[in-house]
Amino acid sequence: QNTAKPDKAPADAVLVADSLRVEGRNRLIAEGHVEALYDNIRLQADRVEYDRDADQLIIAGPITLTDGDQVIILANSGELDSRLENGLLRGARMVMDRRVQLAANQISRVGGRYTQLYKVAATSCRVCGSDTAPLWQIRATRTTHDSQEHQLYFENAQLRVLDVPIFWLPRMRLPDPTLKRASGFLIPSLSQTSQLGLGLKMPYFIRMGDHRDLTLTPYVSAETRTLELRYRQAFRTGRIEFNGAVSDDTIVPGDTRGYLFGTALFDLPRDFKLTFNLEAVTDRAYLLEYDYSDKDRLESELAVTRAKRDEYARAALISYQTLREGEDNSTLPTIIGDLSYERRLFPKALGGELRMSLGAHSHYRYSDLDIAGRDISRADAALSWQRIWTLPGGVRAEWMSGLAIDAFSVHQDSSAIDSDTTVTPQSALTLRWPLLKTTRAGASHVIEPLLMLGWVGGSNSNLPNDESTRVEFDEGNLLSLSRFPSYDLRERGTSAAVGLSWTRLGPRGGSSSLVLGQVFRENAITDFSTTSGLSGRSSDLLFAGQIKSAAGLSLSARTLLSNDMDFSKAEARLGWLGTNSALGASYIWMGTDLDEDRASTVSEWLVDGRYRFSRHWSATADWRYDVAADRTAEASLGFLYTNECVQVNLSLSRRFTSSTIVEPSTAFGFTVNLTGFSAGTTDQSYTRSCRN
Amino acid sequence: ADVAFGKSRQDSNLPVEVEADNLSVSQEDGTATFTGNVVITQGEMILSATEVLVVYAETNKKITRLLATGGVTMVSGVDAAEAASADYSIDAGTVLLKGNVLLTQGKNVMTGDQMTINLDTGTAQIGGRVKTTLQSGD
Amino acid sequence: CGFAPAYGPSGQADKLLGAILVDAPETRDDQLLVRQIETRLGRADLPRYALGYDLKVVEERMAVSATNITTRFNLVGSVRYALRDTDTGDILTTGTVSHFTGYSTTGTTVATLAAERDAHERLSSILADQIVARLIAASPDLPE
Repeated sequence: QNTAKPDKAPADAVLVADSLRVEGRNRLIAEGHVEALYDNIRLQADRVEYDRDADQLIIAGPITLTDGDQVIILANSGELDSRLENGLLRGARMVMDRRVQLAANQISRVGGRYTQLYKVAATSCRVCGSDTAPLWQIRATRTTHDSQEHQLYFENAQLRVLDVPIFWLPRMRLPDPTLKRASGFLIPSLSQTSQLGLGLKMPYFIRMGDHRDLTLTPYVSAETRTLELRYRQAFRTGRIEFNGAVSDDTIVPGDTRGYLFGTALFDLPRDFKLTFNLEAVTDRAYLLEYDYSDKDRLESELAVTRAKRDEYARAALISYQTLREGEDNSTLPTIIGDLSYERRLFPKALGGELRMSLGAHSHYRYSDLDIAGRDISRADAALSWQRIWTLPGGVRAEWMSGLAIDAFSVHQDSSAIDSDTTVTPQSALTLRWPLLKTTRAGASHVIEPLLMLGWVGGSNSNLPNDESTRVEFDEGNLLSLSRFPSYDLRERGTSAAVGLSWTRLGPRGGSSSLVLGQVFRENAITDFSTTSGLSGRSSDLLFAGQIKSAAGLSLSARTLLSNDMDFSKAEARLGWLGTNSALGASYIWMGTDLDEDRASTVSEWLVDGRYRFSRHWSATADWRYDVAADRTAEASLGFLYTNECVQVNLSLSRRFTSSTIVEPSTAFGFTVNLTGFSAGTTDQSYTRSCRN
Repeated sequence: ADVAFGKSRQDSNLPVEVEADNLSVSQEDGTATFTGNVVITQGEMILSATEVLVVYAETNKKITRLLATGGVTMVSGVDAAEAASADYSIDAGTVLLKGNVLLTQGKNVMTGDQMTINLDTGTAQIGGRVKTTLQSGD
Repeated sequence: CGFAPAYGPSGQADKLLGAILVDAPETRDDQLLVRQIETRLGRADLPRYALGYDLKVVEERMAVSATNITTRFNLVGSVRYALRDTDTGDILTTGTVSHFTGYSTTGTTVATLAAERDAHERLSSILADQIVARLIAASPDLPE
């Protein structure tokens, strides 16, 4: 007898019981903890009678039949064949994936694949006792479960909420909870906005094989006929996703409006990555009115990048489309090309590290107007060598010296020379002296005085400056030689940066840190705006702190204090993470600065919170308050009721901003989601318990 | 007839023949002990064991009870039963088998801890965690 | 007052220098983080320790003007790091550091691009410095 086990199911079911009565050759009566096992089906019952000739098991309950690890059928009595595949179970309840229950007075199993239930009540809600009606249930005269296709077909289906019939369908199909991908309707949602009125969204998911799918969502309201679409496709080395919509509405009667956002990410050979990002819209107000996106500038990009320990390479083509009021696409750089390559080398003989970087950039404005339509291209090459020593007394001294060459060319700007090249020799000595202390209580302190002495030769060319116009000063560039964000401008002359960094790590996981810093230079650099904090011969005092408690509170703040004790800038973030709540607050204050197109002070709070105030209810809120203008920019409130079988989502949001393009809008959203039939896992903490 | 063990109803009054390597008889309680390849046949049924104690009725010296130990095999027609020990009481027409009981009924196999075969009613009752395979009759 | 130089003859943090192999980066933010840590603590030829990290950066809209223009973004970064002993593979010290940097978007599109890129660079540098400070603080308890 060959030992290779045939692939098909085993020949016969196995029966195990406390006792077995054999009557003649034809009848077996098994009693006491009877178990019948066939393939991955397992039957447990109190009494099973087996008639060999009829090949039929007559089963007395309580019966538990487990089909794989997904389906459990509980019944009082029944008859099945010896493979437990065909037959009838009476007074039965079928539980799928431990979530969806289908009670029926009779369940028949057909060929091990189909299970038919008669006079069915299906729900995923907790049923406490047989008399209380579940929160919702689907009643049907007949339901067929196809275990191969993982589908449930209901006939003469009626949706009841608290036993009140609210919805009837002659035929209905639902995926069973174990099905990951199937075409069909997703959860509809109601939405009401000031511009578009009350509308209904009915998403339909179309599965196109295992690697592609398309979701079409008709959105109909008093003011608009819209079709939203999402297309996704996965490849072996990457994936693409497109989201878009086409609308015909009363806001812009007569022509169709729409948007298309696309992303693609592909792995290329030798660790290169291709990223593609498309963002386009027909008119400036569309995205905001339909609440598809709150971006005010659309950025499309095609880039190939590779980031390795000692090498970074990037080639990108970027195009912009502005939606801002008062901005004209033709006078903005809307076509941008960027090339950059960086390499780190470690010559054994010389020691230390050689850093080489090459870059090219060009941006183009459609307009041919003089100055307003100027286009600039530039190229940069830099080589630097640096080495770090530990001096006696524990001072870490890093010496860097290098040379950078930048070339520029400008078109359509009569006020500037056409091209220029600048040569920039530079060197810097950075000293850090970290001191360490560990207290008896187990807290450790690291105090680190910082000093950077730098010299940069050469001089900036008097070319128009498109890129380095928004300069920030924080702990990240306190010790940098040049704090301009791009290479079209560099800090020149001799300068010194002085700082102190102090970090305390508490024994129980809390931590706090403080950084102070200031930059002094031989002569001021006029290209710095006042609120950048770097203008003048001595910069603003940088003061940055962070406190994190072990209990989940974290506060980070940073400010620039100018010499006459006035603030240039202040920003802070507060985070609190509790077991049932989370709170985030961000604040920004920036003084008036015409160099940065800021005619009045900017001061704004953003607060967002989430609080689960009971087992089933949780609320979310966020609020953006413009302190300077003393008015709210945005506010939204959301309520979420979740239990084991339903999720109700209520959201109310109000945007107060207005311009010639958009008006203020209030939006209200409502979705009811009958959970249990989706394949997602559920958080058991939301499950109701039976209070008896 | 539809009998659980053997082809037809076993008539427990049929004569019982015993063969064995050796025999020892005890006068006071009227029993005999056969040891070594004991084979007992009654009609269709053959019982073999390493040791069998035979009990005779006082009155007519007829065998009333057979107590087989040391691993017993009973065969009747296409059926067979194995166990550690078997207690065949001829008057009652019942055989009580104990210890790793195995009953093969044609191609149906059943195992358990003990089994009682009722030769008159043609039934068998197996107890202790019983195990069998459900082969349909065809 | 109990402070002693971290490096130098009696320094506890000398064990860190030229002894840590930082995990290879996959993104630009990772690479900037690794570069700053390697610049401050040196590269390891025969690594005694290995530093693993998981860097996440999210963007947050700030300062929305009355005409619904977002004039500022916050880049919020957090790194979960773990220092392992290369011989035994045990985790010697672990923790999470987080901070944020900001950039304005009131300039031209290329100014915003440059400001955003610079904000990423500064954020990685801040987070790297925070990790180095914690490694120095933990150095007394590290095995030789």
